Amino acid sequence: MPHDAPASENALIREETRRRWSLALPALTVITLLSIVPLAVMVAYSFMQAGQYAGVEPGFSLDGWQAVFFERDFFDDSLIPATAHLTILGRSIALALATTALTFVFGIPTAWFIATRPPSSRGFWMFLITVPFWTNLLVRTIAIQEVIRADGTLNRVLLATGIIDEPLQMMFTNGAVLVGMAYVYLPLMVLPVYAAIEKFDFRLSEAAYDLYASRLYCLRRVVLPLMWPGIVAGSILVFIPALGAYVTPRLMGGGRAMMWGNLIDLQFGQGRNWPLGAALSITLTLVVLGALIWYARRTAKKDHANG
Amino acid sequence: MLDIRSLSKKFGSGAGAFHALKSIDITIEEGEFFTLLGPSGCGKTTLLRMIAGFEQPSGGQLVLDGKDIATIPPNHRPVNTVFQSYALFPHMTVAQNVAFGLEARGTNPAEVAPRVDEILEIVQMAHLRDRKSSQMSGGQQQRVALARALAPRPRILLLDEPLSALDLKLRKQMQFELKRLQGELGLTFIFVTHDQDEALTMSDRIAVMEGGTLQQVASPRSLYDHPANRFVAEFIGEANFLPGTIVDGKLFLAGSPPVPLLREKKSRGAVAVMIRPEQVVVGATSEKAITLDGRVESLVFSGTDTHVSLRLQNGTTLSLRSPNTSHAGTALADGQALQVSLPIDALHVLPEETADAA
Repeated sequence: MPHDAPASENALIREETRRRWSLALPALTVITLLSIVPLAVMVAYSFMQAGQYAGVEPGFSLDGWQAVFFERDFFDDSLIPATAHLTILGRSIALALATTALTFVFGIPTAWFIATRPPSSRGFWMFLITVPFWTNLLVRTIAIQEVIRADGTLNRVLLATGIIDEPLQMMFTNGAVLVGMAYVYLPLMVLPVYAAIEKFDFRLSEAAYDLYASRLYCLRRVVLPLMWPGIVAGSILVFIPALGAYVTPRLMGGGRAMMWGNLIDLQFGQGRNWPLGAALSITLTLVVLGALIWYARRTAKKDHANG
Repeated sequence: MLDIRSLSKKFGSGAGAFHALKSIDITIEEGEFFTLLGPSGCGKTTLLRMIAGFEQPSGGQLVLDGKDIATIPPNHRPVNTVFQSYALFPHMTVAQNVAFGLEARGTNPAEVAPRVDEILEIVQMAHLRDRKSSQMSGGQQQRVALARALAPRPRILLLDEPLSALDLKLRKQMQFELKRLQGELGLTFIFVTHDQDEALTMSDRIAVMEGGTLQQVASPRSLYDHPANRFVAEFIGEANFLPGTIVDGKLFLAGSPPVPLLREKKSRGAVAVMIRPEQVVVGATSEKAITLDGRVESLVFSGTDTHVSLRLQNGTTLSLRSPNTSHAGTALADGQALQVSLPIDALHVLPEETADAA
C-alpha cells in the first residue's frame, strides 16, 4: 500500500515537531515573560493616555508619540519639531561612541595582557576584572567621584607632588562623564575580546613572521581580522547600554547635559508622562535595532563580496 | 649552501639548564633533500626553528651564502617553513594565503597574481583557489601550506613533520610528490621527521640526531649499511646485536669457532656484532659464514615473509626473515631446532657501548 507511507511519515514529522516545541518550551517561556511581555507593555503604554498623577489611563492616544517628534509652540500652540530631542539623541550617541572607543583603547591591551598570561594565573586576572561587577553601579560611580572631585585623591596627589598649584576642576565635565562610563563598561569590552585572543592560534603569527610580515603587518592582516568578532561583540555590549545610561551621566556630569536615558527617566518621574516615556524608550530600541541591522547587512555584503 | 657551525642551544641557565643542541656541525649542499631524523626531544625541531629564526642560538653560527644569519629575524631570512599544523590563515582563501608572503614582502601587485596562479598550478590546487582553508581536507591544506611557503621563492624550504597528520596512503603519495617537486625546483629542502621509512625514501642525506647531538650524517644507503653506532643501527631499520670479541683479526662469538674477519686485522676487545634480519640465512650457505644453532621461539606471518625469532644456544635472541615462497615457509614450526648462517660480509662490527655514550 504505497499511499500509506506518506501518511505515516507525516505523523512522524508531526510527532517530531511536537517534541521539539515541548523541548523549547521552557526557554520560550522565559524569553516571553522577561523580554517580550515587558516590551509589549511599553509599546501598549506608548499608545495610551497619560494619567493625571503618573501612570496611564485606558484609551488610545498618539499624544505620546507626537511628543517624541513635535512640541507645542509656547505662544501660538502650533506644532514645531522637537529639535531638543534630536540634540539629546545626538549627545547620547556621541557619548556611547566615545565610551566604546575609550573602553576599546583600554580594553584591548588589558584583554591581551590577560590572555597571554600562563593559563594558571588567567583566572586570577579575570577575577580582578569582574570584581567591580559585585558592587552597585551607584557605589562604583561615587567611588570614581571620590577620586576626581576638587578635594579628591587625584587632586591631592597632584598638589602634594607639586605638579599643579590649584585643584583641577574635573567633576561635572564631559571628560568626567566619559571616565565614569568607561570605568563602568570596561569589563563588557574586556570579556569578549579576551575570549577572542585566548582562542587565537599564535602559530599563525609565527607563520606570518616566517612569510616576511613585520609585526604591524601581522597585526593588521592576521591578528585583528581574527579578533574582529570579539571586538564587535565587545563594542555592541558597551555601546547599547551606554546609549541608555542615565545614572553615570547625572552623577558625573551633574545633570547639566541631559542624555536620552535622563529624558526617559524624567517622563516616568517628575514629568508624569508615561506614554511619552514609553515612546522615547521604544524609539531608542528602534534606533539600536536599526543600527544592528545595518551592521549585519553590511558585513553580510562584505563577506559575499570576498567570496 | 648552508653551513651550520658548532651551533648550540641551551634553555634555562645554571644547573637546571637543558641543552637542546650540543655543538652541531653540518654542511647542507645546494639543491639537497636533507633530513633531520631522530626520536622526539632529540633537538631536530629546535635546529629547524633556529634555521627559520624562531629560536636564537646560544652559540655557533648559521652561515648562508657566506653570511651569518643567526641573529636575523625570521621575516628577513630567505627561508620559508611548512608547519606541522600547516598554520593556514583561516580567514583567507587559498589564493590569499599563497599571496601573503609576496604581499608582506612588498612584491609588485602586478606580479603577485601570476605567481600565485603558477604555484597553485604546481601543487595542483588551482581549482580550489577561492576556498577557505577550513573547507579543505588535510591533504589539500598540506598542498596549500606548501604553495604558500614556495611562492616567495625561498633559498631554503623548511618542512617540520609536514606529513605526520596524513593517513598512510596519502602520506606515501605526498612523499613521492614532495620528492618530485624538490627535484623539479632544484631547491634545498630541510625536512624534519621521526619516521625512518619516510627519511629513507625521500632524502639525499640524513642527519640522525639523539639527545641534542649528531649521531651520523650520511646517505640513506650508507646509514643502513654502515651505521656509525648502535643507536643509528637500531633507529634505522631492524638490527641484531651479538656480543663478541676480536683478537688478532679473529672474531670470537659464543657458540661458534673463531672466524677471521676481512676488514678487522687488529684486536679490539669486546665488540657488538650487528647483522640485519634479512641477511641471516636459514640453513647453510656457500658464502663464508658463521653458523649458529638455535630454536624457533616465535613466528609472525607478515605477507611476503615470516618474521622468525630464534633463541640461540648462548641465550641471545636473533631475528630473521623467512621468505614465503611456495616451497619454503611451511617448513618452520614453533620450537623447532634451526641452524642459521651469518655471512661474514653482512657482519658489521660496532664498538660495545657499556654505558649510554650519548
